[in-house]
Amino acid sequence: MRALLPLLRTGWGWRAGSPAAARLPRGKSAGPGPHRAMAFYRTEERGQPYSPDYRLFFKNVAGHYISPFHDIPLKVDSTEENGIPTKRARNDEYENLFNMVVEVPRWTNAKMEIATKEPLNPIKQDTKDGKLRYVANIFPHKGYIWNYGALPQTWEDPHRKDKSTDCCGDNDPIDICEIGSKVLSCGEVIHVKILGILALIDQGETDWKIIAINVNDPEASKFQDIDDVKKYKPGYLEATLNWFRFYKVPEGKPENQFAFNGEFKNKAFALEIIKSTHECWKTLLMKKCDGGAINCTNVQVCDSPFHCTQEEARSIVELVSSSPNKGRNKEEEQVWHFLGK
Amino acid sequence: MNDFSSEERAAPFTLEYRVFLKNEKGQYISPFHDVPIYADKDVFHMVVEVPRWSNAKMEIATKDPLNPIKQDVKKGKLRYVANLFPYKGYIWNYGAIPQTWEDPGHNDKHTGCCGDNDPIDVCEIGSKVCARGEIIRVKVLGVLAMIDEGETDWKVIAINVDDPDAANYNGKPHLSDFAIDIIKSTHDHWRALVTKKTDGKGISCMNTTVSESPFKCDPDAAKAIVDALPPPCESACTVPTDVDKWFHHQKN
Repeated sequence: MRALLPLLRTGWGWRAGSPAAARLPRGKSAGPGPHRAMAFYRTEERGQPYSPDYRLFFKNVAGHYISPFHDIPLKVDSTEENGIPTKRARNDEYENLFNMVVEVPRWTNAKMEIATKEPLNPIKQDTKDGKLRYVANIFPHKGYIWNYGALPQTWEDPHRKDKSTDCCGDNDPIDICEIGSKVLSCGEVIHVKILGILALIDQGETDWKIIAINVNDPEASKFQDIDDVKKYKPGYLEATLNWFRFYKVPEGKPENQFAFNGEFKNKAFALEIIKSTHECWKTLLMKKCDGGAINCTNVQVCDSPFHCTQEEARSIVELVSSSPNKGRNKEEEQVWHFLGK
Repeated sequence: MNDFSSEERAAPFTLEYRVFLKNEKGQYISPFHDVPIYADKDVFHMVVEVPRWSNAKMEIATKDPLNPIKQDVKKGKLRYVANLFPYKGYIWNYGAIPQTWEDPGHNDKHTGCCGDNDPIDVCEIGSKVCARGEIIRVKVLGVLAMIDEGETDWKVIAINVDDPDAANYNGKPHLSDFAIDIIKSTHDHWRALVTKKTDGKGISCMNTTVSESPFKCDPDAAKAIVDALPPPCESACTVPTDVDKWFHHQKN
């Protein structure tokens, strides 16, 4: 019964019910490639894409619903997930191999994100003033200029002032920009190599942006650290800085600021920040800090007071109603914003 | 708004894919020869071939009867334009002005090169991402004198008259006048082509509206061309994933 308490507290009742009809799975992670990042996670849609009701739930390989925020390991576990180490891997490669949950595919505009306040944290589209949110196209860019997402099991604590930025965290998992060639899908879980980090201060909150590359990218072996990005993808980091500086200006917000003068820090620095946000997440899950409205329901973190069973997780998903089939109403953002110098 | 419409045959991103144009009566027409060059005084029609931000190199098939839009092929493979960082695909709606032709037999006095054997190209800079095969009305703003592999290949810069900002684009008459003169010259070359005064070897001049053209045919003949082809396809093929690659210019 104790495991039910977190569910009751958040207002989600628990009842037995028939399994919800599963839709076509989306965003299957990875596939064949030189690195054995096999499909450990699948997704399941509820509601219509580009509607406020849309939710993308995650399931593990056993078909059990999980939280992409809490139940996907931060670091790629070479024993559990991979089985056979890839021929290309050196020992140190595993030091910085992480799981990434893809929220926004490159070149798209819909602001999809892990719903941190909903049980099992499905991906949904952000809304603002009751309207679905689409990021503006800041010339010369089209939508997001990388595959964008989050590192699971991390949290930027809003009660802690970051010593680099002197601002409190933005209350979200740490964000990641994946710079590989392939345009990924929303809900995909991939393995990435960490390359560096940018200290964005978004509307006065610490909002680190990790720079990483898909380990399955054909050029991944060329990238070990942030300088390789400058060397092999010239202009990309400058464009990234520019993007984050201006992306909210069309919404009427001011330009964003950065710590370290907008300098991109290296892999070692990034790994330290990741470690720190991982520790914050652990205290959150163990209820050792005030998580506010964050929903910590999980199925894998057995010691967590917020842990629930697979059956309880299934019930959570079944409570999410499917909207009537209205058909896709994709309002793609078409305007290109030209901001004066 | 106009009464033109389009009809697809076969699936996009296949060799067989075609987009045919139709007039207000639903009769098949040629986007090259049968869409009037002028929509209004100083307003031109534009046939949209490539929507902004897409990569598939679609173009009016100048050598095929009724000149449907199809995807360009190079060395047997469907052609996709590369993403040159920081850009994604084409950075404007791209297409052609109907009833124009850059004559390969004519040496352009500005570029010193002969024409590229195609209608004149347009880059439409408005906000809206148009659809392949759409016919829109544009205001001409200027022109760029590109020399593509030794051939004259003018690029008209224009804006959709229905763009919310269109009224603000009035700028420099000497630039738009120059562009309009270039367009008029290509229109003259087209007229010579379609009235058989110039030999457009390989070009299909079949049309349904140009009364003084020996290539004019009736709507039934046009319909027969299209009826002979595979029907529209429900499912599209997808764009190959290597098209997503972003190319960075290496300075070092």
